[in-house]
Amino acid sequence: MIHVLLRRRIDEAKWLLAACSITMVWFCWLRVWLVSRLDTGRFKEILDLLPSDWQRYTPVDFSWLITYEGRISLAYDELVVVGCVSIWAIARGSDCVSGELGRGTLEMLLAQPLSRRAVMLSQAGVTVTGAAVLAFCAWFGTWCGIHTLSAKQVVTPAFHLPIPLPFIGSDIPIPFAEPETVYIPLVDLVDAGLFAPASVSLFMFGLMIAGFSTLVSSWDRYRWRTIGIVVGVYVVQTVVKLVGMSTDELAWMKFLSAFTAYEPESFVHIADKLPQFTWSFTMRDSDGTWIGYGPMCFHAIMASIGVASYAVALRVFARRDLPAPL
Amino acid sequence: MFGLLGPNGAGKTTLLRLLLGYIQPTSGRATIGGLDCQRQSVAARQLVSYLPGEARLYRGMRGRDVLRFFAQVRPGGDFQQALRFAERLDLELTRRVAFMSTGMRQKLAFAATMSTDSPLLILDEPTSNLDPSVRATVSEMIAEAKLAGRTVLFSSHVLSEVEEVCDRVAILRAGRCVHTQVMSELRRRHRLAASLVGDVPAVPAELADSVRVSSCSQGELVIEADELSSLLRWLATLPVTEIRAEPIGLRAVYDRFHAGKDATA
Repeated sequence: MIHVLLRRRIDEAKWLLAACSITMVWFCWLRVWLVSRLDTGRFKEILDLLPSDWQRYTPVDFSWLITYEGRISLAYDELVVVGCVSIWAIARGSDCVSGELGRGTLEMLLAQPLSRRAVMLSQAGVTVTGAAVLAFCAWFGTWCGIHTLSAKQVVTPAFHLPIPLPFIGSDIPIPFAEPETVYIPLVDLVDAGLFAPASVSLFMFGLMIAGFSTLVSSWDRYRWRTIGIVVGVYVVQTVVKLVGMSTDELAWMKFLSAFTAYEPESFVHIADKLPQFTWSFTMRDSDGTWIGYGPMCFHAIMASIGVASYAVALRVFARRDLPAPL
Repeated sequence: MFGLLGPNGAGKTTLLRLLLGYIQPTSGRATIGGLDCQRQSVAARQLVSYLPGEARLYRGMRGRDVLRFFAQVRPGGDFQQALRFAERLDLELTRRVAFMSTGMRQKLAFAATMSTDSPLLILDEPTSNLDPSVRATVSEMIAEAKLAGRTVLFSSHVLSEVEEVCDRVAILRAGRCVHTQVMSELRRRHRLAASLVGDVPAVPAELADSVRVSSCSQGELVIEADELSSLLRWLATLPVTEIRAEPIGLRAVYDRFHAGKDATA
């Protein structure tokens, strides 16, 4: 019985999932392509034009952000990527109870010998799996970009005098020709595996949004009201996070927003610079000094919110009276 | 076959929704086959096949897929049986639900509901939105379910339909069951209206237990009786100028509890 229900859920969701997946792969590939077209030096020039205050809006240094890894990691903060996961999570989560109630199909479904738990879990299973698929698609699009594209770089042919400079310890490059544009395969410059933590973070973000949407849906009876409430909370959480980032006085507000746990570029930075902490809950240096919370801690916060929301949603749905369809 | 009658708001659908576990009782409990409809809801629903008053189906599915889904999602569901019912109801199964008329959707839901082997069928106004010829087919199929030994709980707004198919009828008023009528008893009962010359005499003592005088005035006597022969024998001794005999319909019983309200349930 459950597999029939699951098949039904997949059938309901397949087109949205397909559209979001294709968008995700295509956009992430496109993002890598854009990165490959822009020379690092040029990007640095753009960042140099930004006021220094803008640094506070990113959890990593600008100096790292201009690297290929840094620039590609920004894709996970792009509206299209976050939007695809959010649309999926809100659309499927809100449909769970209030959507079915609104359409009146829940009545016929629950006339069958199916528990409310099975009805909700089948929906949740497909939604969470879909979020995982989308997160994988983001990584896969990035991987495809890195493995199919070459970075444009301007190099000046030079030979190096084997005379070490005092204090610098380097030798002197002597250019002997005009600068030329060369294309270096991105795969030689960037390791696609670095973006796995960002994809995991994206999945956890989806899980959190889906869980919260399902919670509101389990209590509500109108899908559009459910979507309105979820989007309202989403906007408030985003604003709280941005306000918390904007000034030192209001930095405490960051901790009021669950979205603070979604910092994909920070996780890619850790994977790049401190790979031993990529999957750690806490980070301490070799003498045990505290560095900070590890990426897994942030993943766990979002996963906990998502799972707890699903647990409460199950309880609410199991106990509520179901209104007759309008 | 058990009928539920009552005006809008009497509690018919609420009762059915309680049995299905959609809502919780404010007090008391509901059971089906000894299974608590709240705490053992899934087991209880295994015994039940339910057709809502206005069945809403997945709009994107084709008729055939709807029947397959409901046959597969329930143990004991029979897709082939559902197809046979659909054929009898003249359903176009290749069409998507979204493009079906209300009556078509009702027929589709009815075919899906009937295709199970559950011992209890709960039908909430199964013939609403159906044309007269399909109503007859539906009634026929319900009668077949009854002959197959299944219990049918039937809620309808059409008194004649309930009268035709039900063995027992419960009349609800403001959430309470105010009367249960065994239909075979009702079918035996008749109403006699007699016009007499002169004063109407009192009913003899030996008939007093089996008849009920509805009205008696100015040479007009209206009597309800289970057994006609002794009553007619007594009337034959009176100066009767005219007699009209008619069976007592469900409407008369219904009106006893809902007089002045809508004549439909």
